[in-house]
This record gives sequence, structure tokens and C-alpha cells, in this order.
Amino acid sequence: MPRCTGMWAVAIVLAVSAPALAHHSFAVYDHTRTITLRGTVTKFQWTNPHGFIELDVAQNDGKVTHFTVELTSINMMQRVGWRSNMIKAGDQIQVVAAPLLSGEPVALGLEVVLADGKTMSLPVPAVGSFKRTETQE
Amino acid sequence: MRAGEGGSLLAAAAGLLIVASQAMAGQAPAPDITGSWMRQGFTVGVRPGGQANQSAPPPAPPPPLKPAYVKQWQDRLQAIREADAKGQPLATNAVGCLPDGMPGMMTAVFPLEILQSRGQITIIEEAYTQVRRILMDRPQKTPDDIEPGFFGHSVGRWEGDTLVVDTIGVKENVRYQNVPHSKDMRIGERMRLVAPDTLWNEITITDPEMLEKPWTFTFAYQRMKDYTLLEYICEDNREYSDDQGRQKIRVDPAQR
Repeated sequence: MPRCTGMWAVAIVLAVSAPALAHHSFAVYDHTRTITLRGTVTKFQWTNPHGFIELDVAQNDGKVTHFTVELTSINMMQRVGWRSNMIKAGDQIQVVAAPLLSGEPVALGLEVVLADGKTMSLPVPAVGSFKRTETQE
Repeated sequence: MRAGEGGSLLAAAAGLLIVASQAMAGQAPAPDITGSWMRQGFTVGVRPGGQANQSAPPPAPPPPLKPAYVKQWQDRLQAIREADAKGQPLATNAVGCLPDGMPGMMTAVFPLEILQSRGQITIIEEAYTQVRRILMDRPQKTPDDIEPGFFGHSVGRWEGDTLVVDTIGVKENVRYQNVPHSKDMRIGERMRLVAPDTLWNEITITDPEMLEKPWTFTFAYQRMKDYTLLEYICEDNREYSDDQGRQKIRVDPAQR
């Protein structure tokens, strides 16, 4: 049954990649849904053990909510083509992210649409374990 | 002649001298393992390059812990699984930006760099800029003569085409795969090129107090010909361990 074989392949990949974390577990983030954040960058922080995007997101009622988007290690990002000058304060960007389970305004970045429209993925280990629902925040 | 050519010629001449001196001493030249390496199918965020050896070493067996320690280890794994399922993972040493130490750094979650120099082989793991020094052709010290550390005290020698390394003196809180060990743990390594760009490292851990028999497993690495290790500094670590040992992220009001 090819279908079952495929499912096992996914399970094995997840099992193998789960320990491949240089710094910390991503279990603090919701694996059942993603949010889509559209906003203005206040800071793009190119640091280890993780990079960060600080983002002001305008709500429907006009209020602004600040979100911190945690990224992977910048070493992993650099290996898949990210550069420190790709985002700067003031840029309008869109981020698909897995929110923190605690409800605090922090999320794990999975994909970013840059100000120039280019889409960049984050090399999050076992990224397939995050279910993409893309509800707009 | 340009300056760069002069340097290359000097380096080539020095290399020939080393090979010549080894030949005169009746030794085959040591295999060239200098360079960057990724763990096959494991190192994160890298795309394989070059020609990989398609054969893979057998998967690691579970650690042959003595019964008294099997339960301690399994309880810890169960606690990790339950905490993850609740979305409240347990903090590891790495959450505090502490390095993997030995033998964890040899899993090469990030790439490794191996440097061969006179009397020493140095291995660097990119994450946390971990460095271990293998002192060549020297007797191992006794445990009483060294202070415990993350990487221990390593001595090595070439046995034909195989680099044989012995490591002692790893801190008891430095654990690979959460497996407990005593201060008397000894890590043996046998590194060998099984193909020009494929390095296997057979690791054997012995611990008379906690293991029933030696625990042996093999890591396979693939050469990364055009990769230079990146720097890695824990410049802003927002993760921390709370008072119950759970991993938390600092939500920083200063960033708003």
C-alpha cells in the first residue's frame, strides 16, 4: 500500500529529526494552527541562538499589537539563503507563524513574505509537524 | 610570481616534507580528514553536496544500562514526552546555551570542522563554537590527573588508516541522549574514511558503574567541500529554565 508507506516515511522523518535541535524544544508552540501576521517591522535581530523579528500588527479596531517572531538559529537561516539585510525596520512584511501555546504575543516564524514580495521559508526542524491554517491575526 | 603563488608553493613544499619524513620513518601518510563535515541525513539546514557514500552504518542500539539505571533513564524519557505533549518542555543544558560536550557534539547537529596539525587534531562543532583537542601520540592521563569538563581529555593515534581516540574526564551532568554516566566513563572512537569524502566514527562508551557492557554506535559524516564554519555566539538567549525546570521564553517588554 503506497499510501501507508508514505505515512511511515513521514513518521520516520519526524522521529529522526526531532532530536536535531541545537538549542531548545519547539513544543511550546501550537502545532495545530498557524496565524498570519501582516505588519511593520520594528526590529530584525540577527542573533544566536535564535533570530527575531519584532513586528507591529494593526488590528481591525485600529489598535496595534506587538508580536515577537522567533526564528531558527541564524546559522541555519544563512545556510538556506537568508541574509541579515533582507529585513529592516519599517518594512511591511507578512509572516506565517505558529503561536505560543501560553497565549503571549510570541510566535515561531515558518514563512516570511519580504517587503519586495519574495517568500522565504524558515528551516524549522520537523516543520511538517506544524499544521498550516493561516488564520489572519 | 605573485605572493599567493609563493604561499601555495611553500605549503606544497611543507606537505611534501611531511610526507617524505613519514615515508622515511616507514609510516604511511595520515589520511587527510581536514575540512568541514556534515552528519549524513542529520545536520540541520544544509543541502548535501559532493558524492555521498550511500551505505549507512547500523542504527544505534539502546544503551545497555544496568537495571538500576535503566529505570532512571526511561523515567526521564517519559517525563520529556509528557512535558512535550503538554506544551511545557523540560529545559536541557542547551536551553542555557551550554554546549553538548562529549560525545554529543559528535552528533553534528551543526557542521563539524576537523583540523590536523602537528601533534594535535582539533574538532570544532559550529553550534556553540564547541572545540575539542585530540593530543596525538601521548599516553592518556589518569582520571586523578585531570579535571572533569564538557569535552574531557582526549588522546589519539593513527592505527593505519584509522584514527583511534580515547577520551576520559567528562562531567557527569554532560549527558548524551539523557543517558546517565559515572565519572569513570570512557569514550573510544575509531574514525576512518570509508570513501574519499565519507568518514565513519565508531564510538564505544564504557562505564563499569552504569553500563552492563560497552555501548557502540557509528556516525557517518559527509565532506562539505565548499563550506566554511560560521560563527555562533549566544548573543541574546531569551529561553530559560523556570523554577520547575521547564523551558520558558522571555517575552521582552523592551522590544515593544
